[in-house]
Amino acid sequence: MSDQTDSGHRPTTLSRRTFLRAAGVTGAVALGPAVLRGRGEAQETPSPIRPEAAAKRGGTLRYAVHNAPAHFDVHQSGTVANIGPQSPMYDCLIRRDPRNGQTIIPDLAWKWDISKDGKKYTFYLRKGVKFHDGADFTAADVQATYERIVRPPKGVVIPRSSLFTTVGEIVVLDPYRIEFRMTEPRPRDFMLGAFASGWNIIVRKKTLEDNQGNLRQVMDFPGTGPYKHVSRKDKEIWIMDKNPNYWNKGLPYLDRLEIYHMFPFSPELGSSFLAGKIDYARLMDPVSWRKAKEMPNVTAAAFNQSVIQAFWMNMKKKPLADARVRRAIHLAMDRPALIEVVKDTAPMQIGGFVYPFHEMSTPKAELVKRLGYQTDVKPAVQEARRLMQEAGYAQGIKGLDFVVRDIQTFKLWAVAIQAMLKENLNIETNLRTVQTSVWFDEAAAGNFDLAISAIVSSLMDPSDYFTAWYGQNGPQNYSGWSNEQFHSLAKQIERELDKKKRTAMVRKAEGILEQDPPLIPIAYEQIYDAYYNNVKGQNPSTFFGIYDVCRWDQVWLAKS
Amino acid sequence: MRKYLVRRALFALATLVGVSLIIFVVLRVLPGDPLVAILGVEGHARMTPADRVKIMHDLGLSDPLPLQYLHWLRDIASGQLGKSFFRGDTVAQLILHRGPISAEIGLLALIVSWLVGLPIGILSAVKPNSIIDNVARSLAILFIAIPGFWLGMLIVLALLFWFGYKAPIIIVHLWESPWQNLQIVIGPAIVLGLAQGAYIARMARSCLLEVIHEDYVRTARAKGVLERRVIMSHALPNALLPVITISGVLLGFVLGGSVAVEQAFGVPGLGRALVIALIERDIIVVQNLVLLYAVIFVLVNLLVDLSYAWLDPRIRYA
Repeated sequence: MSDQTDSGHRPTTLSRRTFLRAAGVTGAVALGPAVLRGRGEAQETPSPIRPEAAAKRGGTLRYAVHNAPAHFDVHQSGTVANIGPQSPMYDCLIRRDPRNGQTIIPDLAWKWDISKDGKKYTFYLRKGVKFHDGADFTAADVQATYERIVRPPKGVVIPRSSLFTTVGEIVVLDPYRIEFRMTEPRPRDFMLGAFASGWNIIVRKKTLEDNQGNLRQVMDFPGTGPYKHVSRKDKEIWIMDKNPNYWNKGLPYLDRLEIYHMFPFSPELGSSFLAGKIDYARLMDPVSWRKAKEMPNVTAAAFNQSVIQAFWMNMKKKPLADARVRRAIHLAMDRPALIEVVKDTAPMQIGGFVYPFHEMSTPKAELVKRLGYQTDVKPAVQEARRLMQEAGYAQGIKGLDFVVRDIQTFKLWAVAIQAMLKENLNIETNLRTVQTSVWFDEAAAGNFDLAISAIVSSLMDPSDYFTAWYGQNGPQNYSGWSNEQFHSLAKQIERELDKKKRTAMVRKAEGILEQDPPLIPIAYEQIYDAYYNNVKGQNPSTFFGIYDVCRWDQVWLAKS
Repeated sequence: MRKYLVRRALFALATLVGVSLIIFVVLRVLPGDPLVAILGVEGHARMTPADRVKIMHDLGLSDPLPLQYLHWLRDIASGQLGKSFFRGDTVAQLILHRGPISAEIGLLALIVSWLVGLPIGILSAVKPNSIIDNVARSLAILFIAIPGFWLGMLIVLALLFWFGYKAPIIIVHLWESPWQNLQIVIGPAIVLGLAQGAYIARMARSCLLEVIHEDYVRTARAKGVLERRVIMSHALPNALLPVITISGVLLGFVLGGSVAVEQAFGVPGLGRALVIALIERDIIVVQNLVLLYAVIFVLVNLLVDLSYAWLDPRIRYA
């Protein structure tokens, strides 16, 4: 057994309220197993998501999200095309509370312990849970799932593997208890966030064995989730019905989910929503979203997405290897103007090298006073010109190859950036627009001088993307950037368990990135959702991204 | 006749083999692969060289090109046309599900083009340089000039903002609900049909103008035959031949235009499937759909050629 029990956030000071809450939790935890033993019914274990008394049952939710997935293997995917339609059929070990998208709550694990040294995570699993094919859910399924995520077999690529690099052994203690043994501790929020990521759905051990660990072409592999697969028409619709044997009794409320595949930000999605053909639209284009916002019976929500829009500078090219030149380019960007340029194509917000809405990043009010982020760009441009002169490029640079990913936002930005670079620094670029797959091949091979695109992270925690985006040999460090001071600081941030100290380190890292930019951040994306007001139980405004909370078990329809 | 048929069939086959080779080579020469679509941006960035080799092998893309081509021919012969790289559906399934919608759009567009183009062409020819002729010619030029996808988007927006209307968003086949099916296909058919109708109107006008000055037409008029009968029974059948020829060619434009117009209307037909397959670099789907379009185009042209003899008894096949 572990030394310490932790089922949520730990308070830093002991107030009367905190004491009473802690006592209550301790009592509940102590009583929990006894109650379970006495009743022998795992599904009676209290779950944070309980049915609302006022909620109406029944009805069909028509929900539109993204175009069809390229394959069906959720673990191997990095796009909402998978997690959007498939998430309702599966559960995770633990999850983000769908009511706010932030708090971590139990899911298939009804409780978890973290050892004092942070090197053991023990999860207590629900009993009596069944997969959609009738098989019992046990710790062996969790072990098989996570072995695959942590150490994928050859030919299987899982973007979240890097979150679990410190997971050593995954040990089944008994059929309903599993332990993750770490090679070294990581901050608790980071690890729990990794486990609660919506991507880490639990699949059957047998399913993985039957398909040699690759589910890319297995459309309907059994999950334990609140909805069951009924039918699918490729690139059109995926239909699911309520799972009558769902372990969380009373949920879901809806009888049926109809999930429509429509391109994000497309007029088709916007028009389908405005015409009332769908109840809930995700990833709406700004024009349709603003129109929807004016409708009296509609809620239009905006929330933060886990994406940075940026352009990379090839460090192998001489002028760009100079940190002063890169900082000059960084300062020459008129970010408010860039956000304005795409305002009818995709919603954006200003930000630096760390998610601007993360608690550890420089607060927005402070950021917009900083050079490079101000509305008045003159001081920043002045400083940029000084840096170019200092670096020996006062006359500018000619003939940079600017590779543009063939997506409307990037095409619009590339033209604006080309003009800003010419006007502010006399840097001349030749735009080369290429199809998405070509862009990533060119970026990985270093066949560019400047290259514009967007990349995502799984977690909001900087340690996730400090490695992937800015890490030495990081998979998305397309610039080939390296800064010893930053890399050593990033390692410390990964290991630091004290939040205050970590925050200070993240701020320091931001300072390094500002002076020696590995990429030029343009903006951070927002998500526009719209839904008719008869859709209840959903409030995405505090969500981070669209990958953790899309199971629809808490949503109900007022009209039914 | 039989000899002619065999010769034309062989020509058609040779054309299709040539087309298949061009599609096959072009799709493999073009930069980019399906790996970003399969693995996503993050997965693609984390893929090791060994992973790449394994996945390309699993997809059959690491085989020598002649072998890949032979595999494709085998898939065509089996009737399944191969499997999509992504979701494992066969291309035959895709065509069977989406093909009827695209075929309806093509057929309706052809009907619209004749219904609109022919009367306008006749009116223009009968009263050349009149107000009717000038208006008709201006409209014809307008419809030729307007891009179909743009007109399609305008129609979609106008219906949405003025009437709050949008056509069904998933495929409803004719045999499932004729009314809903009509709502899906009518918009694209009208847009494509109007553009082709404009060509037909211009062609019908010029051909009819030429024919109505022929001696046999003048003779018919001299014999006191009614003007309507002169036009419909004597002049028009002889003027129709080039119009039929151009209709065959225009079907190619309908097929090509349907890709953009289906996208504009959000119709889940084959054109839209082709666009998505191109974005995903699903070359198995792309090569089969392009070949299908080529087959249709070649067959229609063959039919047009054969119909000449029926329409003009003076034509005999040697």
